[in-house]
Amino acid sequence: MIAAIRVFGYSLFAIFIGLLFMGIGRKIIARIQLRLGPPFYQAFLDVGKLFARKSITHNFVMDLGMIMSLAGLLSTMLFVPVAGHMAIKTSSNLILIIYLMAIGHLGMAMAAAASGNPNATIGVSRALTMMLGYEIPFFTVMLGLIIFNGTSSLELIAQSQAGGILNWNMVKFPLGFLAAEIALQAIMGEKPFDAMVAPAEIASGPMVELGGKYLGLAFLTHAVSIFVETGIMVNLFMGGASNVFTFVLKQFEIYLITILIEAVFPRFRIEQAVKFLWTVPMSIAVVQLAIILL
Amino acid sequence: MEDLKANDKRSYIDNLIDFFRKRSIWMLHYCTGCGAVELPPSMTSRWDIERFGIVPMATPRQADVLLVTGYVSLKTLKRIIKIYEQMPEPKWVLAFGSCTVNGGIYWDSYNTITNLAEYIPVDITVSGCMPRPEAVIDALQTLMEMIQSGEGGAYKKYKENYEYYKKNQDRVLRKTAPILGSSETESIYQEKEGNYET
Amino acid sequence: MKLDKESIIELLNQKGVEVLDLYPNQISVNIKKDNLLNHLVFLRSIGFDHLSFINAVDFIDEGEFELVYHVWSYTHKIHVLNKVRISRNNPVIPTIVNLWEQAQFYEQEIHEFFGIIFEGNKDLSPLFLENWVDIPPLRKDFDTKEFSVRLFGAEIRR
Repeated sequence: MIAAIRVFGYSLFAIFIGLLFMGIGRKIIARIQLRLGPPFYQAFLDVGKLFARKSITHNFVMDLGMIMSLAGLLSTMLFVPVAGHMAIKTSSNLILIIYLMAIGHLGMAMAAAASGNPNATIGVSRALTMMLGYEIPFFTVMLGLIIFNGTSSLELIAQSQAGGILNWNMVKFPLGFLAAEIALQAIMGEKPFDAMVAPAEIASGPMVELGGKYLGLAFLTHAVSIFVETGIMVNLFMGGASNVFTFVLKQFEIYLITILIEAVFPRFRIEQAVKFLWTVPMSIAVVQLAIILL
Repeated sequence: MEDLKANDKRSYIDNLIDFFRKRSIWMLHYCTGCGAVELPPSMTSRWDIERFGIVPMATPRQADVLLVTGYVSLKTLKRIIKIYEQMPEPKWVLAFGSCTVNGGIYWDSYNTITNLAEYIPVDITVSGCMPRPEAVIDALQTLMEMIQSGEGGAYKKYKENYEYYKKNQDRVLRKTAPILGSSETESIYQEKEGNYET
Repeated sequence: MKLDKESIIELLNQKGVEVLDLYPNQISVNIKKDNLLNHLVFLRSIGFDHLSFINAVDFIDEGEFELVYHVWSYTHKIHVLNKVRISRNNPVIPTIVNLWEQAQFYEQEIHEFFGIIFEGNKDLSPLFLENWVDIPPLRKDFDTKEFSVRLFGAEIRR
């Protein structure tokens, strides 16, 4: 019972932080473009409105897919240590986290395929192609860190960086951090790697048939994915945190970098994106791995 | 009067939901005619309608407001009706300029409709030819007030009076007989047409 | 080999068509319906390789349609207007799709808006109008004002 309440509380916390980040991100982009921008709580208003709307479903698989994508990311979130705390006591295995993260994408793929819209199918196929692109450099960086620390536990990797900014992996392995940051841009689906959404081109890709509550679920999924992905980066490279407030602040720093890149870049075509991910961050990551091994 | 009565019955939950709806209007601008040019300036830094939470959306499923930005030809009307029916409720329609009210300068054209409100329910019409971004923002703010006070329910009218709208739509879209009656040239044309119809 | 305007007029006069000299780089030719294809083939053979447009004019008082074939030459820099008159009661003319492929769309459009039939064109389906049952709308005897009032309920205010 206690565990269930903890899981629920952690989920609410992750959703709250993710939505807050989304709102602040929109505000920052607006300020970069010399606009006033929406209020920082805009994402909450959007989600509230979406859940109050009528929604159109196409079949049972679409409902299941949407819930699966949210549940997949929420269960990933349970394994990410938040300033040393976790919803359920596990070893927070990095390999497990990466595999669980794919469930979110697969759920979205299921829902999109079930909606029967060709734009959604194109978007999902692009998202899965992009996954192929960013996973290889990201895994290479993680492999280096796992070899260096001798463990694949995210919590232990975070603990090993304790004691000042000079112990952070970000400072010790700047090349690895750079490669992971580029890959993170693609993981979050922000520009220049947002070919799977591309509103002007394929009408927001996987989300094309989602309206009302389904789009609300997609928003929540995106919020949790922001929380999870920034959380992984903080634990890997910024040494975790001693309390939750610091942790969220560090997460926001990671998110800020992503948003700043997002605000000023145009979009890669999908084959350009994969080519880029397999050359530039990949070679940086290999150099980093070589440095660690030698 | 009906609106006032409806207002009495509104609970806190309704007010909260309407607040959400009011502060997060997502619009689908179906760019017909010349009004499409007025929307980019109202979205970019000079007028910036995103500060009210108004964002352009890519598909009718995600949108709350349909913007019809100018004259509507028969071919376009067919698509507009399809788009309008695809949008989930609650939904609102904003008609731009005089073209959507009385046909504007295209009032005597053989292929553009004169009054959009006969075919789909229109919540707000913006005056002007074309309305400037200030007028667009004013209309959207009026819409926000209408939503908060629970007035903007033209989509309910579409369900209640579906026969009326359907009749009007069919009259212009599914013509079976010539409108102006038969003449000599027409009968010749029809004959020749018959020969070449595949 | 670049021909100047005078020699083109000379060539066309030898063929027995009347030529009007309009502007420094534009001439107008009146031809008969039967002679149309021969004439256009001849023009093409002397280097007029581009069909810019076909347009139709409704001369309702004379009971005739006038079709104007705009032909341009990139070598001679001359624009030739080939005008053909056909009867309004029997608006039939041979197609020139085999000569210039792009004529397909012009012919389709003219068929749609004037009801002129291009013999030999296999696809005269409507391009712009959907479900049109009246007489073609750009004919002069089609009253768009009356049409708009009756179908769309347009108001006439004086």
